[in-house]
Amino acid sequence: MNTYLSSVNAPVFYLIVAGVMTFITMMCLLFLVKSYRTGIQIGMDEAILKKTIVSSAMFTLLPSISILLGVIALSGTLGVPFAWLRLSVIGSLQYELNVAEIAAQSAGLSGLNLAELNMSSFVTIALVMTFGILGGIICCIFFLKGYSKKLQSKPKNENTDNKPGFGAHATTAMFVGLCAAFIGSYIGKCFPQGGSDVMPLLVALASALVMGIFEFLIQKKKVASLENFSLAASMLAAMAFAVIANSLM
Amino acid sequence: MNKEKTIQQYNASLHFLGRITLIMASGLLIAVPFIIGAFYGVEPSISSFINGFMKVGMIYIPMSIVEFLIYTPMLGVGGSYLSFLTGNVTNMKIPVVMNSKEIAQTESGTIEHEIISTISVAVSAIVTTLVIVAGVILLVPLQPVLQNEALLPAFNNVVPALFGALGLKYFVKSPKIAAVPLLLMSLLCVFVPSMISQTSVLLIPSGALALVIGFVLYKKNLL
Repeated sequence: MNTYLSSVNAPVFYLIVAGVMTFITMMCLLFLVKSYRTGIQIGMDEAILKKTIVSSAMFTLLPSISILLGVIALSGTLGVPFAWLRLSVIGSLQYELNVAEIAAQSAGLSGLNLAELNMSSFVTIALVMTFGILGGIICCIFFLKGYSKKLQSKPKNENTDNKPGFGAHATTAMFVGLCAAFIGSYIGKCFPQGGSDVMPLLVALASALVMGIFEFLIQKKKVASLENFSLAASMLAAMAFAVIANSLM
Repeated sequence: MNKEKTIQQYNASLHFLGRITLIMASGLLIAVPFIIGAFYGVEPSISSFINGFMKVGMIYIPMSIVEFLIYTPMLGVGGSYLSFLTGNVTNMKIPVVMNSKEIAQTESGTIEHEIISTISVAVSAIVTTLVIVAGVILLVPLQPVLQNEALLPAFNNVVPALFGALGLKYFVKSPKIAAVPLLLMSLLCVFVPSMISQTSVLLIPSGALALVIGFVLYKKNLL
């Protein structure tokens, strides 16, 4: 077994992550109990509160399974415990993988490549992934109190212009730029001067094809429940394709 | 009067608890890489960390601020403290809160909505944690299979798999923004092969170009 993989899957690592997750779960329980009790105190219907708990749990089950698929995808390079931690807090599969790739390149590797990864680069990658996603938490710690007060005092419907702001488009544009850079590099790799490595582009195309089928079913056939699985399932299908293609090439 | 006091106390306690627990959770998360490093006798490379963080921060810090400003009104105070720590905000927490809002028939900005959204996010985070823990327990015996040499191509191509799927989603959604950056980045990597291994650098001009094109199209009402 690869020494690096043994290290990132060591039992002690599971214990550390379990400790952090226990703290976060206790925090959620604390907020849950406090809110439930306050709801009762101010006269909210207990049946509605219980219904909210049950429906939220049911509503979360399917997307949680898709996150679990993400843990499998990430565990092959960063180990199960760290994939478990990262996909249980703050980020999402696309953030974690993208940042891990950037951090790996910044650490002097060609990318998230098992043959090049070692514990020193892993620790650096883990630190970049952790710090890179703290923006939302920092905003909450320093600005949520003031911002929520401002929201409460803001009169409703003050915006007469119905045109949505550029914010939503900016996020999309940023992701388009990210994807363009990575897909461009896979196209470059196909040429002799780039190494004639067609596998990354083939895998990206396979993933895009599966995602295209999902998008068709979600947008045209209105199977909205597939939305939660489309990304993780497309990735896993493309990864399976990589194994098959590699054995044939 | 009594209800007013309860609401005030509840709001104050959410902020107090939220801040304290987020600070503690952030400390724990930051400590994990250092603890692992100490266990194996390795340290993170500071120069690589700064290099990587600059690139990541340039993209994700503005995104975090935008998400904070947009999602906080929907999530409420308690929901925001929990959601920004437990993640999966757009794909899970927001839909869960909206679903609960429908069930409880609450109005945004009211104390009832605040309570419902906090309960929803807390339950959602706990259920996700339990599902993932169950999955991880099942994954442990599968370790020898997952680490089999035959599966190496799968895990070495996890990033192309991600960007293939994401690329389709975003390029189809915004073809007008995507065309020029995609063409330029492809040409650059074909004619300057040294850029292929510098994707983390490439994504800065690529992202900036997409943002500029998006902004111009937005201003001209072409999006």
